[in-house]
Amino acid sequence: MAVRAAVLRHIRVPVQTLAVTASKPQSQWSSLRLFSSHDDHLTKEEVIDRVLDVVKSFPKVDPSKVTPDVHFQNDLGLDSLDNVEIVMALEEEFKLEIPDKEADKIDSCNLAIEYIYNHPLAG
Amino acid sequence: MGASKGQRLSGMQKQVLSLYRGFLRAARSKPTEDRRQIESVVSAEFRRNSKQVDRKNFLYIEYLLRRGKKQLDQLKNPDTMGISSLNVSPSQNNKAKT
Repeated sequence: MAVRAAVLRHIRVPVQTLAVTASKPQSQWSSLRLFSSHDDHLTKEEVIDRVLDVVKSFPKVDPSKVTPDVHFQNDLGLDSLDNVEIVMALEEEFKLEIPDKEADKIDSCNLAIEYIYNHPLAG
Repeated sequence: MGASKGQRLSGMQKQVLSLYRGFLRAARSKPTEDRRQIESVVSAEFRRNSKQVDRKNFLYIEYLLRRGKKQLDQLKNPDTMGISSLNVSPSQNNKAKT
């Protein structure tokens, strides 16, 4: 303990070194911010456009019928298996994995748009 | 069983759709060509059963679900490339039905 006290008494820490280390957490923080999905989150318009494009490109769908308000099965004449395929195609488009429980609920363009727009990882 | 049109899904329908989703997910991990082939075989099989199987034939649907889950486990194996080895011939199908 005596040695430690003696050493500490003779050590001078330059002030500018302290300043550098103090600024470090801040620069770390700003680089972390780049990974935050909210900085460059998809706009609603972009989500709508891309969802509609995926639905329109589905082989059994008449593209002229597709609007943000269509219900996959009631309005586009699809069945529940097609519904699964469309939701899977949306997963790929937006690089998401939608759990079964959520995926079963997505049965219209509107619900798909809402789900994807509110998903923090949609890209 | 008839693929449903927009009404509430029964528990069994959810299981079937979940299995279908599982197959499509497993197909994603295969090379593009195998993937397309798997998707078309799986889709055809599910659609064929959805038209041919009586939706009230719960025992048979449960059997198909169990069989499908086993096939899906095989497909998930990275060594499984295609799905041809998993195909069940119509004769086997009929045997199971009776």
